Amino acid sequence: MKRFLVLTLLAGLCAMAFASAAPAAAPADVGWEFPLSGPYGFYAEEMKRGVEMAVDEWNAKGGVLGKPVKVLIRDSELKADVALRRMKEFVDSGIPIIGGNLGGGISMVINQWANKNKVLYMSTCHNSLGQGPDWGYYGFTTGIKSYMTGAALADFAFEKLGKKWMVIAADYRWGHDQVAAFLVKSKAAGGEFVGAIYTPIGTRDFSAYVPQILAKKPDFLVLSVFGSDLVAAIKQFGELGLSQRIKLALPKTAMPIMKECGSAYNENVYGAVTWYWTLYKKYPNAKPFVDAYMKKFNRPPDADTDSGYVGAQTLFMAMEKAGTRTDLAKIIPALENLKWDLNQGPEHFRKCDHVRTQTVVILQGRGAKAKGWDLATVIAEVPPSKTMLPCDVDRADSVYGPIRNKLPGK
Amino acid sequence: MELSWEIILMQVIMGLALGAIYVLLASGLSIIFGLLDVLNFAHGTFYMLGAYATFVAISLCGNFWVGIIAAVIIVSLIGALFEMTLLKRLYGTDQIYPLLMCFGLSIFLPDIIKMIFGLVGKVVDYPSLLQGATFVDNLILPKYRIFLVVLMAVVLLALYLFMKKTSIGMIIRAATRDRLMVNCLGINVSRVWTVGFMLGVGLAALAGAVAAPMVQTIPNMGDEMTIEAFVVVVIGGLGSLGGAALGGLILGQVVSFVSLLAPDWSNVSIFLTMALILVLRPRGLFGEEGRD
Repeated sequence: MKRFLVLTLLAGLCAMAFASAAPAAAPADVGWEFPLSGPYGFYAEEMKRGVEMAVDEWNAKGGVLGKPVKVLIRDSELKADVALRRMKEFVDSGIPIIGGNLGGGISMVINQWANKNKVLYMSTCHNSLGQGPDWGYYGFTTGIKSYMTGAALADFAFEKLGKKWMVIAADYRWGHDQVAAFLVKSKAAGGEFVGAIYTPIGTRDFSAYVPQILAKKPDFLVLSVFGSDLVAAIKQFGELGLSQRIKLALPKTAMPIMKECGSAYNENVYGAVTWYWTLYKKYPNAKPFVDAYMKKFNRPPDADTDSGYVGAQTLFMAMEKAGTRTDLAKIIPALENLKWDLNQGPEHFRKCDHVRTQTVVILQGRGAKAKGWDLATVIAEVPPSKTMLPCDVDRADSVYGPIRNKLPGK
Repeated sequence: MELSWEIILMQVIMGLALGAIYVLLASGLSIIFGLLDVLNFAHGTFYMLGAYATFVAISLCGNFWVGIIAAVIIVSLIGALFEMTLLKRLYGTDQIYPLLMCFGLSIFLPDIIKMIFGLVGKVVDYPSLLQGATFVDNLILPKYRIFLVVLMAVVLLALYLFMKKTSIGMIIRAATRDRLMVNCLGINVSRVWTVGFMLGVGLAALAGAVAAPMVQTIPNMGDEMTIEAFVVVVIGGLGSLGGAALGGLILGQVVSFVSLLAPDWSNVSIFLTMALILVLRPRGLFGEEGRD
């Protein structure tokens, strides 16, 4: 009987302990993932550094809502299954907000999952989250809509580079988005399209395309590939004299690409980015960001650094404004109504699709004149009003979608 | 699309130049497999090291040609060190162990390179002598590509003479056939293996060094090259030097012409060619029947 009483008492104490225990605190306020170990490691590292800089800034001034802000950063290996697993791990550990990724397709997978599970997701890469059926209330993005850089560059190219054009495009959604944007703009500007070549990701030899490009004699060649493929293409076109004869238009470029191409990234190479570090001369709020980065890493930040930085900054601003670090019912409306002025003048998330209203910057290569990280010259800025389609048009995907689904040469 | 003779000729030249890289890479792989029975999964890693060593050497001395020679020597010595300290211990064990050792190296070394050189790739410029192209009407004759074809021919000839006419070459060929017998003749087979491995990785380094101006020099640049080198070797026949040469040239032409006619099939065409040849001739073009 005595033994029974002791056991009953112990069981009761255990039950009380469980009942009164507070829920375990989440290990971080935001869980971020970037493909740090994949082929886009450089760009992922830039996004990560951007996030870390924002965290350092907030914690230096006391954190969010008076407490230091904490983030966890994981490697998603540029694989959709790994990316999804990492996100699930974050959410299972109690983190209500996730962010990051590089690669529109992976970003879309995470966005769908986040919306289904009512988790706030802040994407940081070029993507199509605001287009077609992929939009969802819980998804935001500091990355630009894929077609916007293509549209901005196309307007510039048809005005300044000529009318006759050809394209080499990576054979996946992002590459197709750029071709669609150029085709739509070409029609409006009276352009003459002379051919398209679609290449698989990982193409390293572009010299085989040179004879047919020269035979078609375009005024400019749209080079809608990225990463190692783009570096190989520019270097080989430089070697073969193509980029001395024909202008190259890159819907997406980046500092390491300019750097790695060396003198082949010459004055005939025009590329679109979402931000470039010398813009701090125009937008003074960007100067502390550029200075802090240069002091820490001995070189200027890239557009992807800005994307990660703005993603983290806006989340922390919204938490502060909403007065909560976890309640999404308050944080999401706060993000929708947020206005900020960080690296590129006044910006906000469009309320109807949660996409950052971002300017596209057109850069011209400097070739042999490049010094250190002063690799390109800003020659135009195209505001979002000229590139972003209205939300209902985007949701129906009625401008670029029909073209993208019937691309010439496919 | 209208196929003029200029386009076809240019495509052949581009294919030959691409094939030259494959030939250099696959010859090394073939020598290592033929001599040591080792499937060198780190072959692309030595290709990458060749490119980085070229970058370092050119940064120090400012000369492309000295850079290439230095890169081949440095990477060959790294290869010898790897063979003598790690790989040699696994000879005589199941083939999977040296394979795993090489695979481990292919993960380990790119990370070391990342730590030393960072994530931004390095620039290796074309030598000023070989920059640009000569134009004959509409025909472009790119100087560097022609150099690659000539280099491949010279290296193949040198390899042939080395194997057929020198005593070390003869010992290597004999050791490939029957190690035990060579050992019984009082020859230090262990040293022959090291020389063979050095030769193999030296060729991979040469391929990486001459490819560096054309591609992105980054730590992972060798990943896919290992696979493609294996495809060439399988097409040519495992362990056959002549097979590796022919396989590389065939693959160069296939990729070049598929890129012209059906570009989105260019990567797949590599594997389709391998599948086709294996169906028609399972041991590869020059492979020996019955070899383990």
